[in-house]
Formats: sequence, C-alpha cells, structure tokens
Amino acid sequence: MEQFAFYVFAGVTLLAALGVVLLRNVLHAALMLGLCLLGVAGIFAQLGADFLFASQILIYVGGIAVLILFVVLLAGRASELITRQTNKLWPPAAFVCGVTFVFLLRYYRSFNGTSASSAPKPTTFALGKLLLGDLALPFELISLILLAALAGAIVFSRTEHDEEERKA
Amino acid sequence: MLEHVYLIPLLPLAAAVTLVFLGKEGPHSKMPFLSVATMGWCLLQSSAILWSAMTGAAHLPYAASMPWFEFGEYPMSLGVLIDGPAAMMLFVVTLVSFLMQVYSIAYMHGDPRFKRYFAYVSFFTASMLGLVVSSNLLVVFSCWELMGVSSYLLIGFWFEKPGPAYASKKAFITTKVGDLGFYLGMLIIFAYAGTFDLTMLRERVAMGAAYLPAHAATAAGLCLLFGAVGKSAQWPLFIWLPDAMEGPTPVSALIHAATMVAAGIYLVARTYFIYQASPLAMDAVAWIGLVTAFMAASMALVSYDIKRVLAFSTVSQLGYMMLALGVGGYSAGLFHLTTHAFFKALLFLGAGSVIHSVHSNDMREMGGLSKKMIVTFATMTIATLAIAGFPFSSGYYSKEAVLGAVYAHSPAMWAAALFTAAMTTFYMFRLIFMTFLGEARDHEKEHHAHESPALMTIPLCVLAVLSVCSGWILEHFGLVEHLFGLPSAVVHGAEHAAKAVEAAGAAAEHGAAAANHAAGHPASHPAFLVPAALSAFAAGLGISWKLYASGDFTTATKIKQTFGPVFTLLEKRYYFDDFFLFLVDLSDRLAAACFWVDANIVDRIFVDGWGLVTILLAEIENFIDAVFVDGLVDASGWVSRQAGAGLRTLVTGQVQEYLLYVALAVSVFIIQMLTMR
Amino acid sequence: MTLYHYLAVSAALFCIGIFGALTRRNVIGILMGIELMFNAANINLAAFNRFLHPNAVVGQSVSLFIITVAAAEVVVGLALVLAIYRNIQTIYAEDYNLLKG
Repeated sequence: MEQFAFYVFAGVTLLAALGVVLLRNVLHAALMLGLCLLGVAGIFAQLGADFLFASQILIYVGGIAVLILFVVLLAGRASELITRQTNKLWPPAAFVCGVTFVFLLRYYRSFNGTSASSAPKPTTFALGKLLLGDLALPFELISLILLAALAGAIVFSRTEHDEEERKA
Repeated sequence: MLEHVYLIPLLPLAAAVTLVFLGKEGPHSKMPFLSVATMGWCLLQSSAILWSAMTGAAHLPYAASMPWFEFGEYPMSLGVLIDGPAAMMLFVVTLVSFLMQVYSIAYMHGDPRFKRYFAYVSFFTASMLGLVVSSNLLVVFSCWELMGVSSYLLIGFWFEKPGPAYASKKAFITTKVGDLGFYLGMLIIFAYAGTFDLTMLRERVAMGAAYLPAHAATAAGLCLLFGAVGKSAQWPLFIWLPDAMEGPTPVSALIHAATMVAAGIYLVARTYFIYQASPLAMDAVAWIGLVTAFMAASMALVSYDIKRVLAFSTVSQLGYMMLALGVGGYSAGLFHLTTHAFFKALLFLGAGSVIHSVHSNDMREMGGLSKKMIVTFATMTIATLAIAGFPFSSGYYSKEAVLGAVYAHSPAMWAAALFTAAMTTFYMFRLIFMTFLGEARDHEKEHHAHESPALMTIPLCVLAVLSVCSGWILEHFGLVEHLFGLPSAVVHGAEHAAKAVEAAGAAAEHGAAAANHAAGHPASHPAFLVPAALSAFAAGLGISWKLYASGDFTTATKIKQTFGPVFTLLEKRYYFDDFFLFLVDLSDRLAAACFWVDANIVDRIFVDGWGLVTILLAEIENFIDAVFVDGLVDASGWVSRQAGAGLRTLVTGQVQEYLLYVALAVSVFIIQMLTMR
Repeated sequence: MTLYHYLAVSAALFCIGIFGALTRRNVIGILMGIELMFNAANINLAAFNRFLHPNAVVGQSVSLFIITVAAAEVVVGLALVLAIYRNIQTIYAEDYNLLKG
C-alpha cells in the first residue's frame, strides 16, 4: 500500500513536471505545475512531514501556482498557442540534464537500502518549538524578506499610469 | 682720540654717501663744504693722534678690533692697527686731502659736476684712510680695490673727453693686473699662516717655518710686491700714471702724488716682516725700486708736459722709496714717503695753479710767469729745492737717509741712485726755469696769466712750510726712529729672520744690514755721502741753469739732435706702452687664432661630429622604436582586439545560454566529484 | 521504500526543472522550471530528515524557509516579468538581449 502510494505520487509528480516543461500551451503548463506540486505534497505526506504537506498545498498549490496562472493569463497571447515554446538550446540542455541525472543516480545508489527505522511522528509541534526557539532569528529575517518582496512586487508591477494618477 | 680712530675713514665715507644722494648738483652747489668740513675734522683728529704719537703720550702700536665673521675655524675681525707709519700716513692723507679739497673749491668751481667731484674725492679719501688704519689684510684689500674704483672715477671725471676716458680705463686695468698679485699674495699668506690679521700674522711669521716657510714667504712677498708695483706705478706697470694726468690736477696731487700711489709703498711697509723673512723678495723690492727710479727720472728729462714731468718724478721718487725699503732702510723709506707727500702735493697743486692760469700743460708755451704768479713761483721753487735735496729742506734729510741706507747695502746701487738724484735736480729745475723764468714764449697766454685766488694759494703756502721744515722736525727730534722704527715685536721677528737668512746661506752682509737697521741702529755712513749728494745737486742745477734758465734752448736742441735716438727712446717711454700694446695685440691675435681653432676644428669635428653621431644614433633608435617596439604595442592591441571579437560571440545576451554554461559546470562538478571517490 | 527511491524522484524532478529552465522560451516557463527545482530540493531535505535523522525536524524547517523564499522569488519575478512585458511587449527570453556583446 505504501509502495503503491509512493509510485502513484512519484509518477504523477514526474509526469506533471514533464508536462510543465514540454507542453506548448503555457496555460496547460501552469495547470500541470499545480498538479506536480500536489504530487510533491503527496510525497511529503509519505515522508511523514505533515506540516510541510500542509504548507506545500497552501503556499505552492494555493498561492504560487495560482499566481503563475494569473500572470499567464495577463501576459498571454493567442499566437503563443501555435508558436514553438522551446528554444534551440534543447539538445545540449537535454544532454546536460541526462548526464547530471545519471551521475546523481550513481551517487545516490549508496543510499539504496537505507530505510526508515521507525514510524513517522507528527512534527508540527516540534517545528513550532524549533522555529520560535533556536531559529527565531532566521524566522524573523525571513519575515523581513517577505515584506521586502511584497514591497518590491508592488513597486515593479505599478504602471506609470498609476503614478500619474497618484501625482494628480 | 685714538680709541675713536675708526671715525677717520668712516666720516668721509658718510660724507661721500651724503653727497651722492643729497643736495643739489650744479656748478655752485654748496654741498662740497660738507665734504671739506668732514675732512677738516679728520685732519684735526689725525693731528691729535700724530701729536700724541710724537710726544709718546699714546702707546703705539694701538690695536682694536671687533669680530666680523667666522670663516670656518678662522675668525675674521674688523679692526684698526695704528703704529707710527699709520699715524703719520693718517696725518699726511687727511692733510693733503683737506688742502686739496680747499684748493678744489676754487679750482673746480663752475664745473657742472661740482658736487659729484667732492663725493668722489671723499669716497677716495675714505678708502685710503681705511687702508691705512685697517688691521685686516682682507679689509686692506677691499679698500685697495675701492681706491682703484675711485681713482678710475676721478681720472675719468671728464669722461666726455676721449683722453680721460682712455686714461681711466688704462689706469684701472693696469692696476688691476697688480691687484691680482696682491690677491695671490693674500691667498698664499692665508694658506700658510691662516690669518689676515696683521698683528697675528707678524707673530706667526716671527715663529718662522712653522707657519711661513722661506719659499712661501718669498712667494707671498713677491706677489704683494707685484700688487704694490701696480698701485705705486713701479716698473714695469708704471705706464698708467703719466696718462692718469688727464684727470683734474688736484686729483693728481691727491691720488697720484701723495696718497694712492703711496699705498703700494705703505703695503710693503705694513707687511715688511714678510720681506724680512725673505732676502730674495727684499732684493726684488730694491731692484724694482732702483730700475723704476732711474727709468722714470730719465723719461722726465725730455717731457714738455708740466704734469707729465711731475708724474715721472712721482714714479721716480716712489722708486726711491721702494729702493729704501728693499735695502732695509725701513725708516728711511717711510721718511721719504712722508716728506715726498708734502712737496709733491705742493708741486702738483702749483702746477694746477699754473694750468688754471695759462690753460695749457705745455711748458714750451709758458715762461716768464714768475712776475705774474709770485706765490705759485715761490712755493714751487721751495718744493723743487726740497725734492732736489737742497740742504736743510725736508727732501734733503729724507734723501740722505735713503742714500745712506742704499750705500750700506750696495755702493753700486748707491751710485745709480745718486745719478738719479742728479737727474731729479736737473729736470725739476728745468721745469721751474721753463715755466717761470725767461721770456714769455706765448704772449697771449702770458697776458691772461694771473695769480690764483687765495683758496688755491693758501694750501700752497701751508704745504711749502711743511716741505721746508717737516724734514728738520722729524730728524731733529728723533721722530724718524721714534715713529718709523720697526716695532719691538718685529725686532724679535727680525732676529729670527736674520737667523733664517743665515741658515739659508744668503748674503751675510745683507742679513747683518737688515738686522742692524731693524734693530734701530742707523748704519754709520761714510763721510763723503753728504758731499756727494750735494755735488749731484749742484751738477743737476748747474746743467739745468746752463741749458734752460736763459729761455734760449739752442744748446738743448743741439744736444737733442746729437743724441736723437736716445731722446726718442725716452720720449717713447722706453717703448713700454708699445710693448704692452703689443702684448695686448698679441693676446688679441692669439685669441683670434684660438677662436679660429675653436670654431673650425673643435666645433666642426667634435661638436658637429658628435651631433651627427647623435642624430645617426637617434635615427637608428627611431627605426627600432617604430618597427619593433611599436610593433609589439600594436601586436598586443591586435591580439586584444581579436580576442575581444572572438569572445564577443559568446556574449549573446541570452540568459538561458548562460544558465546552460552554469548547468554544464555543475554537471562537470558532479562528475568530477563522483570519479574522485 | 528506501531513501534511494525518494532521492531518485528528487533527481529526476530536478533535472526536468533544469531542462525546463533552459529550454522554455517563455519567461513564465523558466520560472516554473525553477519552481520544480525548488521542490526537488525540498523533497531531498524532507527525505534526508526522515531517513537519517528521524527524531529531528531541522531539515523540514529548512524546507519551510525554502518555500518562503520561493514564494518571495516568484512574487518578485512575476512582477518583473509584468514590468518588462509592459515595456517591450514580449515575454520571450531571447528578446531580452540588451546585454548582447
């Protein structure tokens, strides 16, 4: 059962990822990204990372994927549906990715046989204690980064038309 | 008075500066009275000093000094050194200068540069007095040079005329040749003795070879003598003095009779201890004096210019003084220097009076002036008697002393000197006879002739009194030995010198004579000396009377025709002027030849050749630079450019290409990491 | 299931992400590829935490930070894309060639 779930999630994830990078229609690719991220969330659940699973769905699937969808819709054009969506770099890129993948697998082979020693436990409580304890400073800093990203996004996405209105 | 002796040179200097910068210039300027008054004060002070020296009230030599500057380890001092000769010279210079200035007020009145004339005279007198009182040879030399300058200015006072302009240049350059000798002598002295202070120098020379070895003393003595030869117009540098008569006649009286030309004699007397240490230098002094005395007297025989005669006479008498110093007659030489200053100044001022009246220098245009100018005639006759050595005049005593000293040294020299004395008598009376006696030869000039004003005749009378009685006073009261005797420190030195002389194997009699005189014991002269001198006087007077007194010169002309070449030789001044001109011309040609060599050989071959070589080398270097060095530079630029053009294709601006490179690098990194395991 | 399986999935996802980032002409596509790479890294962290240090949660906390940073990155990146799109009216990366030498 556990193996079945893993293979399902892994298959969904990888197939959706391939869809993200290969599909000609960007809108489809964005939808595939949401599916892929859901698959990853499933893998997190398999690993017993319950809080991570929740975060993945809330932030990635609910936030980032939706945001990308919005932008695709904002900047999209009908002509993109028929134009080629991959550039001419794909042969060397495929080569590099393939080689990297093969060698990474060879590297990871040493972990073949490492299995979990115990059943997974809920981690939310421990994570909360850690984030507000030892990692309090990075936690606060990451909030600053988020704030800066918020402000930056507003600045970048504001149009000149808006500025003129504000001045007037 | 003695402690303020420094005022004597400084006051005339101040007067000179004042006259240069203040007051109105013009023929009737009142400023000259400042100069005369200053000189009057100096005369008073000098007289007081001389009086205290004669009575023994002042302890001589008096020395005082203040530090001037330090020359390394050698301190230099500004100071005064007053000994007997200095006191006498102060009196003589201030007196002659004062009388001459009084005289000049009348003589120069109406000259457009009236004030400037007195400024120059004051400046000259200040220099001379500075030379007299200074205890430091360096200061003496400075004053010496300043005298040269002021003499140049005064001889060339009427510089708009070609004669004075030429004469001033000649005098300046000729004396400058002598100054070089003075300078070298000073350097030698400083190199060996390490001091310029005369007192200290005297002590060090007395110590003998420790400071000044015999050869150095000889060299220094000869060099100083050369300086004195230039300044005192001795052979062979006497050529400038006759020409210097182009200046105003009072100037001739002051500078070229009584004072400046005496500076050379004074210098030799001042540094006499050096000559005592060197018999060779002593002999040189004596021989130069004798040759000068003889030659100048012979030239005076044939001159018709009244001032030239006096100029040759001056040279001759200065030669006498040199001779006296050279044979060891220190006091005799200085004695003659003193008396000569009086009667020669008188002669020049009298000649000036005549010229002022007749407006001519030529004695052939005069004659019979005695009736018109009785004071001038009387005073000049007195001076002539004095210079000729008429008994009991001043010249009689001093000349006797000189001749006595010469005889003690060498009878042959004495004979020559005696002959010179006869010639002196002859040409001096020739001057008197031609000027004052006989019939007037130029009646127009004679008609205008008149006695000079009182301002001019009073100085003549004062000098006439001194010409008569100064010799008797000095001799009778033993003042010659008192004032002009060598100081005791020198006696000490002289004994050393005498020993050195003997050790050097020099003439024993010379050493004895020098030591004898130096010790202040007059040599006992043979009894025939005085009659011999008197007979020389009588002979000169007689021949002169015979030839010139009547105003009929036929005999003289006949003699002249008989001895034509001799006369020509004398009139041409032994061709010394031509000789020096030839020397100048020769050096001119030599310089031209050197210039030709320089321009045509040195410049052509070495300078131009070197330039050519340089240009060639530069061309080669330019080639190397242009082809190789620049090529290297261009090549590096070309390589950079090509490399840039090649690398440019990599920078496509495509972000994903860059990312591909990154991915490639990461994959290579991973591969490498795995293969390392 | 061993650690190897999870790492293999992560590696595959990562390589697919790289491929996407390298080959998509669309800038949004590139961003999506980058998101895939982030997720691959997160899977790695969670897997190592689970299998090698089951009693600690540090790996998961780092994953959380990565998720946060990724969110910020996407927000800023998309804002930039929009700004550029407004200026030059294209969304294709090859047209962004101002740095071409």
